[in-house]
Amino acid sequence: MTVVTESRPRRTGPGVQASADAARRRADRGRLLRRTGRGLVLAVMSVVALFPFYALVILSLKPAEAIHFPGSLTPWHLDGGAYSTILGAQDVLRWTLNTGVYSIVSVVMVLLLSSMAGYAFAKKRFPGKEPIFWSFVAMVMVPYHVTLVPTFILIAETNGVDTYWGLILPTLANAQAVFLMRQFIKSLPDELFEAARLDGCSEWRVFVSIVLPLTKPVLATLGIFVFLWHWNDFLWPLVIGQSPDMRTLTTGIASLNQQNVPLNQVLAGSVVALVPIFLAYLVGQRYVQESVAMTGIKG
Amino acid sequence: MRHRSAIAATALAVAGALLAGCGGSGDSGSGKSTVTMWTYPVIADDKQNHAYWDEQVAAFEKANPKNDVKVEIFPWANRDEALTTALAGGKGPDVAYLIPDQVPKYAPNIEPFDRYMTPAAKQAYRPAAIQAATVDGKLMDAPLLMSTEPLVCNKKVFDAVGETRYPTTWDELLAMAPEFKAKGYDITTYNGDATGSLNISFYPLLWEAGGDVFSKDGKSVTFDSPAGVKALTFLKKLVDGGYVEKAPITKTSPNIEQTRIAQNKVACSWQHLPGDVQQYWGKENVHVVGQFKDVKQVGYGTVGGLSIFKKAGDKDAAAKWINFVTAKAQMDAYDKKAGFFSPLAGNDLYADDPVMSAMEKTLDQVDVGPLVPKARDVMGVLAPEIQAALIGKKSPEDALRDAAKEAKFMTG
Amino acid sequence: MATQLTVRKRGLAPPEGRRRSPLARRDAVAGMLFVLPCFALFLVFRFGPAVAGSLLGFFDYQVGGSAKWRGLANFRRLWHDPVFWSALKVTLLYALFAVPTTIAASLGMALLTRRGFRGVRFFRSIFFLPVITSLVLTGAIFRWVFSAGGPWSTVMGWVGLGHTAWLEDTTMVIPALALVGVWSRFGYGMLILLAALQNVPRELEEAATMDGAGPWQRFRYIVFPQLRPALFFLAVIETTMSFQAFDSVYMMTSGGPAHASYTLVFDLYEQGFKYMDFGYSGAIGLALFVMTLVVALIQRLILGRDT
Repeated sequence: MTVVTESRPRRTGPGVQASADAARRRADRGRLLRRTGRGLVLAVMSVVALFPFYALVILSLKPAEAIHFPGSLTPWHLDGGAYSTILGAQDVLRWTLNTGVYSIVSVVMVLLLSSMAGYAFAKKRFPGKEPIFWSFVAMVMVPYHVTLVPTFILIAETNGVDTYWGLILPTLANAQAVFLMRQFIKSLPDELFEAARLDGCSEWRVFVSIVLPLTKPVLATLGIFVFLWHWNDFLWPLVIGQSPDMRTLTTGIASLNQQNVPLNQVLAGSVVALVPIFLAYLVGQRYVQESVAMTGIKG
Repeated sequence: MRHRSAIAATALAVAGALLAGCGGSGDSGSGKSTVTMWTYPVIADDKQNHAYWDEQVAAFEKANPKNDVKVEIFPWANRDEALTTALAGGKGPDVAYLIPDQVPKYAPNIEPFDRYMTPAAKQAYRPAAIQAATVDGKLMDAPLLMSTEPLVCNKKVFDAVGETRYPTTWDELLAMAPEFKAKGYDITTYNGDATGSLNISFYPLLWEAGGDVFSKDGKSVTFDSPAGVKALTFLKKLVDGGYVEKAPITKTSPNIEQTRIAQNKVACSWQHLPGDVQQYWGKENVHVVGQFKDVKQVGYGTVGGLSIFKKAGDKDAAAKWINFVTAKAQMDAYDKKAGFFSPLAGNDLYADDPVMSAMEKTLDQVDVGPLVPKARDVMGVLAPEIQAALIGKKSPEDALRDAAKEAKFMTG
Repeated sequence: MATQLTVRKRGLAPPEGRRRSPLARRDAVAGMLFVLPCFALFLVFRFGPAVAGSLLGFFDYQVGGSAKWRGLANFRRLWHDPVFWSALKVTLLYALFAVPTTIAASLGMALLTRRGFRGVRFFRSIFFLPVITSLVLTGAIFRWVFSAGGPWSTVMGWVGLGHTAWLEDTTMVIPALALVGVWSRFGYGMLILLAALQNVPRELEEAATMDGAGPWQRFRYIVFPQLRPALFFLAVIETTMSFQAFDSVYMMTSGGPAHASYTLVFDLYEQGFKYMDFGYSGAIGLALFVMTLVVALIQRLILGRDT
């Protein structure tokens, strides 16, 4: 468009010059209009995306009976009463600790186990390698809910209900993570590993001092992905953590929701659960978004 | 690089320690035993409930330095889900608060209480309380409280409408309904929360119509009988006439503050206790009518008790704890705080309280609910069908028949 | 990206002829040891339960280890169970509302934020915020959003659509839950599609513009073909996710009113963990699995021809 409008004036007189200006202005106006339209849509969608968060925070800072719209959403007359209640009377701190243990232990273990397996699948030769690898990957196809009850039975029969290990162990077999690690390590040049081995490094040493550092970016991405998944997990903690002491933030908040606990307390608990995720997102935004593109396309 | 591997190693060590350190409760060797008890908001106020149990635990542990007690308070909603899942996983409490219609389901897991209760203590109970706690001749729990849920009316509303008689039968209630509606009041309310118990909502109507939930042998359901259809049709008339508030019919865990009960817009209810409503109505406006009547005059009432589970490590300690909290002084304090009645014979806790005295008089006409193992499971399939009938998605007959079909899968 | 980089550099690797060298054996042993922990976990917590899960429906299982062969009894019950069929209908209806809306919103936002302009990262970040938020928290706040007198019913009232509380209405409860699903998922789809949009050759689009192709034509003939695999992927993922909707249902409606939001996973959960009927729960799980597979195949036929 611009090319056309600019090439014209040279050949023509003042009258035509004016009309060309008009055309340019029209084109500019069109672009402006498109931009404004885009800005408008994006602004509306941002409000839609952010409004629930705003309401969540504001209503958690209001008295229990303030539930009316839009009257209760004003950002003044705030008080933290709901927070002191849930942090005192309810076990929110304990739930936070449980969620932290569940998420952090799982992240460390998944990263370690999947990078070990991924390294072996990518760079080692051993009998049955390919069938084992692809049978891992095939497990992605089996929906979570088909295995939910058998896994529960397994944990129940081995006395794992209401324990951390019962909560964590079954979530460590993560096919996506193994797949991702294998793909990434496969793309690294063999020389790196061979040189170290010829130097007489033990296999474990090669893994710790070469594989782990080299896979740092993908480990960060995967780590955040696994962390988010565990922090937000609900159904598994719901069936495994039965006593109030073993609840996570999600199942704890769900239990608050079912009691006659005022809305502001339920929401205050939700804010407590949201803050770490929010901070992690602020810090590792790039990794989070990358992890989606990666695990998504590859999964 | 080295630095990072050190972090990984530490993390791994921490993970290992955490995983190893959380196996069992591990107190069998130390000579000290912990009794875990699950209870519910029997004292409705969360803070008071916690405070009461904290106090009891402290007193008990002081008297019995070798025993620890841990009281865990669960929400009423879905309480059987939590208990069955925990017991299935070999976990769950040593002691739990149960009511009679739950007991058959857990009976295989319950340690009979007979040998822990002295004959004198047993003698002191009301016969009805002991009877409700007995399954196949064995005492399944130590009764802790008795309750009754008769029809309770709001005087303020009756004054506003200018009505002086209180309804005692279905027909009287239906006849009065339009008059109340004309003045902007609801004659009653129906709380159909599918996660709640039908004992307090639909079953009383079923019993009043002369029906029952299960057949006498407990092997099949009978709520789809003509009496059941009659009860549901009565309820539907109230809904269709606009005589009850719509939202509570289907709402999950509604907050009482947000209902018309709290706004003094409801005349009578068989689902609310004086303790629930007096802060909104004013105690002087609570009028206890007594059990509602159609073919039969009956209402829901229960006997709450504490049971020991067979999995309890130290049953003697558990029994000691139960006997501690069901001693007269403790139990009286608890029952009064919770607004319930003492299961002990001739033990009137509310002599100077007209409302509670009137309530106490209705204790003889209560049904504790169906005493079969699948009682609670059947509620899960019946409650949504009742909702479907009340909001007009199904006829009462169809709804009850579909629910009976579902229930048949469960009872086998 | 990985496939381009996986050309094996054989420089220092042991030549084929000397496979049985000590180095190769060490390699094999180390490889197996590295895979072993993962393998054990997969065996116990994936393969085992997957096999058990597909057999569970044929048994009556009681905790304590007693399994009784029931043959097809659980499946016969499934066939005659009105609640199962209603749950199936509810689940499909939910997917029907949630999946196309999510994909449309994802696509729209991806196209609007694909070109760099000031603030584009900011918008992408905002749109992704709901994705990382647990559906439990989302459910807690949306329960209020959809309540009587809450924002949604108020806004609906303003535009003349009545003040119904959607979660308490048997026809509107599924659209309401689907909207929550869309809100929490569109940011994910947007990122997936943004990644795919990078493959669209910019010169081609510009050339088409010069040739006078309108926005729709450019989208139809240049952008869309490039997006097809990603759209297929998104459709499969979103359908699977919507078939498994549980957290938000648990938080917002518990399956009500009158079973109007009682989904298959909710049925599976209640049969298993409320009524402790593991066998029947297993039968529902298997039905869900078959349904997911069938729908994925259909989607492949429609969208995924070239992938």
